[in-house]
Amino acid sequence: MTLPKSKSTPESAVEKKPIPWHIVFFLGPALLIYLTFSVYPLLDTLILSLYDEQKGQSSFVGLQNFITLISDDNWSSAFWNALANNFQFFIIHMLVQNPIGLLLAVLLSSPKLRFSGSYRTFIFMPTMLSVVIIGFVWQLLLSPIWGISENFLYHLGLDHYFDAWLGKESSALITLSFISVWQFVGIPMMLIYATLLNIPDDIVDASVVDGANPMQTFWYIKLPLILPTIAMVSILTFVANFNAFELIYAVKGALAGPNFSTDLMGTFFYRTFFGFQLQEGSATMGAAVATLMFLIILVGIMLFLFFVQRRIQRFQF
Amino acid sequence: MASVKLDNIQKRFGDVQVLHGIDLDIKDGEFVVLIGESGCGKSTLLRLLSGLEEITEGDLHIDGQRVNHQSPAQRGIAMVFQSYALYPHMSVYKNMAFGLKIAGQDKQAVKLKVEEAAKKLKIDHLLERLPRELSGGQRQRVAIGRAIVRDPKVFLFDEPLSNLDASLRVKTRVELGKLHQELNATIVYVTHDQVEAMTLGDKIVVMNQGRIEQAGTPLSLYHHPKTEFVAGFIGSPKMNFISAQVTSIESDSVQLMLESGPTIRAAIDGQTLKLADKVKLGVRPEHFVLATDEENQFQGRVSLVENLGELAYVYVNTGQNAESDIVIKLDGDCQYQAGDSIRFAVAAADTYLFDKAGMALPRLNKA
Ligand SMILES: Nc1ncnc2c1ncn2[C@@H]1O[C@H](COP(=O)(O)OP(=O)(O)OP(=O)(O)O)[C@@H](O)[C@H]1O
Ligand SMILES: [Mg+2]
Repeated sequence: MTLPKSKSTPESAVEKKPIPWHIVFFLGPALLIYLTFSVYPLLDTLILSLYDEQKGQSSFVGLQNFITLISDDNWSSAFWNALANNFQFFIIHMLVQNPIGLLLAVLLSSPKLRFSGSYRTFIFMPTMLSVVIIGFVWQLLLSPIWGISENFLYHLGLDHYFDAWLGKESSALITLSFISVWQFVGIPMMLIYATLLNIPDDIVDASVVDGANPMQTFWYIKLPLILPTIAMVSILTFVANFNAFELIYAVKGALAGPNFSTDLMGTFFYRTFFGFQLQEGSATMGAAVATLMFLIILVGIMLFLFFVQRRIQRFQF
Repeated sequence: MASVKLDNIQKRFGDVQVLHGIDLDIKDGEFVVLIGESGCGKSTLLRLLSGLEEITEGDLHIDGQRVNHQSPAQRGIAMVFQSYALYPHMSVYKNMAFGLKIAGQDKQAVKLKVEEAAKKLKIDHLLERLPRELSGGQRQRVAIGRAIVRDPKVFLFDEPLSNLDASLRVKTRVELGKLHQELNATIVYVTHDQVEAMTLGDKIVVMNQGRIEQAGTPLSLYHHPKTEFVAGFIGSPKMNFISAQVTSIESDSVQLMLESGPTIRAAIDGQTLKLADKVKLGVRPEHFVLATDEENQFQGRVSLVENLGELAYVYVNTGQNAESDIVIKLDGDCQYQAGDSIRFAVAAADTYLFDKAGMALPRLNKA
């Protein structure tokens, strides 16, 4: 039996392909939303940062805003201060939050640990609370006037170590970093914990049979296998830290005191864009700060992708 | 190499008793195969031997030394897992060298050992690859290589071939046999596969629900199973079990009447039996022959033919219910089809007999 010749011979198929309306239909709405609420504001900010606005007159000034930011006497010290603080904030997270998250994940994944489900929930709980609430609670806890910290330390016999940590230039930023670490340590813990659970028991057993002790098993087998997750956690920390704002604002206000010692890029941007007390807000300078924040994060991620991500391989088991 | 002695080994997980007292002697250089139904505790026993799991009760001796509380490395065992359990982030070389490196061996010595083992297993061209860049069979070899380089006293294998396809499994099986001869190693090997058990094992241990049902050479298990369970487990396809009643007992045989009619003479020592006892007759599919004029004749209707070319399995319904199909192994060129009627027979010497409790009665005329 022969089939009737189909009309769509190869030639006619090449000639004209119908427009794939279904693809347009499915992609359209999401693309539209993405363009309107993500791409357009970003581009608008980038463009705005190239203008100057004086008495309602806006004029194109090229990169002048950026030059002002990093070199002008009035601006540069505040900018560099915020940037340096932000790096300090980030480094404390990397050195404290992620190692503790890793340690907690390893402890949680130990099969001998009882109540691990409860520990997991309790440690993760602060992450789900509003930053504003966390900031407020810790401000009260640490307050030298009403706070319970001093009393608490007194009972431990450590009261002479107590200080108004949040009120001192030398310790305010570190204290705030620790508060943030306390709140968010659950995220690296959960991500690393999930990866650890994914490592097949057989592989761990094999290393035990090969004679490795628990430390060696962790160091040579588990750690390399969770490295991709640790890298991902680091980049998430980086992005979150350079966008941080709420905690400082909730605890210290937009002035990020004492004497700007807790000023981050986020609070610096806030004052620049909206103005605060004696400072007048400037949309164009604000846009310049926002653009710089965007560039810093972009460069950070690109360095990460180039130097770290390429070397790390994911493993399937 | 070393001998292993298990003395009343028991294992409980909480309230669940998984192993109920295992006694077993493994001689130096012996290849012992553990078989048994899924969940009967084979892997658990292997893990107890390896030291990955703690022994609840009983003594384990390796080379005369009690090792209950020694770590796997101290015991000097190596294990090959069903999943291979290769370290996914390490090259083949590093996988094989890991144990030696942990033991703090000199780099040069490690290199020599790994290369020697790799050559023996014909994976020396793969040393720089990662496990995921290997085929299943190659991974298998690396897993074996990782065990060999450590020069262990005892090798433990947990279903090492079950992830391979059929032809590769046969090939690897043969190689494992050769490897055993070459290394002259003491091996404990868990498998589900009849053929692996029969061909590789010096000794087969049949386990049933956490106990050893019978241990012995492959042929002794085939010819003289102690219980119905072992008889059904060794041999493929399974032995046919047919309910019967004792009608007369003679010095060299027992007369039986089957439920489906025919009378059968079995060369069995029936001294412990009484007349009218309910028993089970066992006949292996390969022991049936097409009927000539011999005794012990059966007849029935063919319900299914599985022809494998060289041989055919013919399922015959002899009674009322279809569940009691008897399987017969015939030549591949036999012409039977479903629905045909068939007459077949079994020699008295080729029969097995089990009492009500499932214990085998002694067979006569079989060494
Ligand atoms: N960690 C454990 N906790 C509780 N019960 C367990 C544990 N490990 C195994 N068991 C039980 O012990 C029994 C024997 O398990 P085991 O893995 O030894 O079986 P197996 O003979 O290897 O089976 P298979 O042929 O399917 O691999 C099973 O019933 C299993 O449920
Ligand atoms: Mg098993």
